[in-house]
Amino acid sequence: MKLGFLSIDLGTILFTLCNTLILFLGLKHFLFKPVQKILEERQAAVDQTMQDAEDARSRAEAAETEYTEKLANAKEESAAMLRNATRKAQQRSDEIVAQAKSEAAGILQQNRDELERERRRAESALRSEVSGLAVMVAEKVVEREINQDDHARLIDEFIDSVGDVQ
Amino acid sequence: MTSAAMMMIPKFLTGPEELTVEGPKVLFTFNLLGLKINFTETIILEWIVMAVILGLSYFLTRNLKVKGISKRQVIAEMAVDAITNLVRDTMGKRWLWFTPYIATIFCFSIFGSLISLLGVRAVTSDFSVLLTWAAITFILITWTKIKYGGVGGYLKGFADPIPVMLPINILSEVATPTAMALRHFGNIAGGSIIMGLVYYGLASLSHMIHLQVPVLTVGIPAVLSLYFDLFSDFMQAFIFIMLTMVFISNAGPADDEPA
Repeated sequence: MKLGFLSIDLGTILFTLCNTLILFLGLKHFLFKPVQKILEERQAAVDQTMQDAEDARSRAEAAETEYTEKLANAKEESAAMLRNATRKAQQRSDEIVAQAKSEAAGILQQNRDELERERRRAESALRSEVSGLAVMVAEKVVEREINQDDHARLIDEFIDSVGDVQ
Repeated sequence: MTSAAMMMIPKFLTGPEELTVEGPKVLFTFNLLGLKINFTETIILEWIVMAVILGLSYFLTRNLKVKGISKRQVIAEMAVDAITNLVRDTMGKRWLWFTPYIATIFCFSIFGSLISLLGVRAVTSDFSVLLTWAAITFILITWTKIKYGGVGGYLKGFADPIPVMLPINILSEVATPTAMALRHFGNIAGGSIIMGLVYYGLASLSHMIHLQVPVLTVGIPAVLSLYFDLFSDFMQAFIFIMLTMVFISNAGPADDEPA
């Protein structure tokens, strides 16, 4: 038996209603629920990844700022050290030069004093020798003993005159 | 060609001998609460279609993963995504819970129409099936109107804008599901009749030029079948769900508060 082409059949309507409901529940359970669950999980994972990336970026930025600061500090420090060392070296060299100069001047002075002393000694030795010689000459000339005091005075006068002539 | 050779050609190769336009076959009839209920071939076909759809869903959603997904999962996700976006764009976020029903009607309609490619009646060439779906849409429209406007608002809507419009409003209310059901049924059933006519005509033509096997029916109908079976099946399913979505969401308030 066949139904009419455009028939409205109660049995078909009831069965179709049930079948549609079953298919609705089935699709919801077998397709939509698992897929939506996985889509939500993926969304959560993506959000997490984005959050992590954002955190990492801000951490990296903080580190970069820190390093830049440290580098600047280190440069400044090294420049200061260099300046300090240069100044110290300059100071030291100045000191050494000054010391050398003063030492040289001391040695020169010492030599001059020594020379002076030598000259004095030679002078006094010459003087005593000359006085002896003069006494001898004078004894021979006057043939008499001259008073020792007059003697000395005469010698000195003589030496002085000799020295003046010189 | 001798008559002996003609006898050897199997019956199914000789082409249709007659063309009949009939409804679905009644397999058996039983009594339920005093009502005579027909169990037709449409129901069996519906079960096959349901088994295919649910089997496909089950197959596509095995081993779902968040990362490194399989091709099957891509298809499942694309399908869910596409239908969800369609519902969101057409009906608004408030109606997202409605998505599985739209998917149900869409799949049921498409597969129910395409099953005719296997040589059986299309589920959707049974008017009762389309009438059922249209009735569901009608009930949902009415339910939405009452939900957002109250029973008073719903009844007042029939006298809008003037009470004289009452008969016309009632008519338009009933016309909505009737037109939906008839449009879908007419396209699919009409398409199958046209294809039947084409096959019958080409077979007759083959016999007229003394071909025992109707060779003309090979190839030529396939071109028409592209439209009447593939394109039309898809279009009617799409039109049906679009109308369902538009009518139901229009029954509610227009402004869509963020869900």
